[in-house]
Amino acid sequence: MHATGLSLGSADGLDDEHLADIAELCRRIEPGLVSDHLSWSAAGGLHLPDLLPLPYSEEALAVVARNVDQVQTALGRQILIENPSIYLAFADSDLSEAGFLGELVRVSGCGVLLDINNVVVTAGNLGEAPADRLAALLDHVPAAAIGEIHLAGHAIRLLDDGTPLRIDDHGSPVGPETWSLFETVIRRLGPRPTLIEWDTDIPAFDVLHAEAATAQSILDQAAWEPTHATG
Amino acid sequence: MRLAELQRRMAGAILSGDDDAMPPLAPGPIPAAAAIDVHRGTVMGALVNALRLTFPTVDELVGQAFFDQMAAAFVAVQPPRLARLSAYGALFPDFIEAYPLAATLPYLADVARLDLAVSVALAMPDAGPRRHVTLDAAVSLALPISLNVLSLGHAADLIRAGLEADDDQALAQIDLSPQTRLVAVWRTGRHAAVLALSPPAGLFLAAILKGADADTALAAAFSVAAPPAALQAIHAEVFAAAFAQITQTHLEIETR
Repeated sequence: MHATGLSLGSADGLDDEHLADIAELCRRIEPGLVSDHLSWSAAGGLHLPDLLPLPYSEEALAVVARNVDQVQTALGRQILIENPSIYLAFADSDLSEAGFLGELVRVSGCGVLLDINNVVVTAGNLGEAPADRLAALLDHVPAAAIGEIHLAGHAIRLLDDGTPLRIDDHGSPVGPETWSLFETVIRRLGPRPTLIEWDTDIPAFDVLHAEAATAQSILDQAAWEPTHATG
Repeated sequence: MRLAELQRRMAGAILSGDDDAMPPLAPGPIPAAAAIDVHRGTVMGALVNALRLTFPTVDELVGQAFFDQMAAAFVAVQPPRLARLSAYGALFPDFIEAYPLAATLPYLADVARLDLAVSVALAMPDAGPRRHVTLDAAVSLALPISLNVLSLGHAADLIRAGLEADDDQALAQIDLSPQTRLVAVWRTGRHAAVLALSPPAGLFLAAILKGADADTALAAAFSVAAPPAALQAIHAEVFAAAFAQITQTHLEIETR
């Protein structure tokens, strides 16, 4: 069960009614995994339907940890927190995303949903190498905490000066760089539940099936080569 | 800057279009305006599409471009204050009624009210417990909890039915002048039923749903029709309606 509106990063706290609805749905369908994003969408009584970025500060870490604890208590289970696609960074950030997530796992007991497409989108938009950003996440987050992986394609819009702006639109095939990083992750962690997100411009079923088959072949290969880390 | 202030400023900047209201950003390869515009596009797109899903008949009547413009104007004055996106737009019909560019379509607000009622009904449980209404010692009604009665000022139900049936001939014959229409809306499976009621039946049912006793509900019906005609309408349109179940069958209503 993948939520998008809990607004785990809201300094104003969680919407109790919405949390109760999520908890009720969770009781009804008993999902294997429950997740939401490292982001916020509510502030000052307004709710914006987007995954808005956080400054990676000590204050934000305390806010997210408090909110995650409230959700895990209401649901009676661990939740996974997904690294979001980022388009801008705040001047007030003094932690890395990797360090922030690693510390969040430590203090709240949550897990991590590793979205590899989001790593590629964020790295591109912030001027970093995707492999370096992924390596930092794998170094800071314990392998056992990574409970699920997301894959997707993204759009690239060229700005007037030719700078590529990567937009996480889930509307195209998984890109070669994302597949390559997925192989890296699976080789290091071993198989993980993996979801391909393609929810705009949805293609014919055989295209989706081929994407799933590619992911499965990488997962199967890792299953036959159990040399991955377990801790 | 404290996190609460940062988030309020960013939310305000996204909704107002004022990039200068953003909290301080770190330098990066993507210009701030382009980055903020991604979030602004996501937020506005999601809100306009949420309204389109709740108000499909309005969208079909005015077309996508006009709907998008009207919805964006609504978002600017009534940004969402609930976490549940599907609940956004309760004030959209009243906004449409006062929207100057829609003034030539005086029935549009009522079409929106009916769309909203359908959306609300579809969000209610279908099966399960019904609302039990005891009229007197002899008669009790079991009604769907999704059942609602709307009082509309135009024939929005006929407009919606004509568009759903793609029946241009029926649409051309609709009287678009102001008129009171009482319409029952309730959920049936994955769909919502919309049924026009006569004035006595509609007033009776509306009163019952508001918790009135049988005498009060009958008085409302008798205010617009002679008692025999009113009772006949109530029997035919409420007691024998597809949505109602009579749980005690000794049906006797005195004319008072």
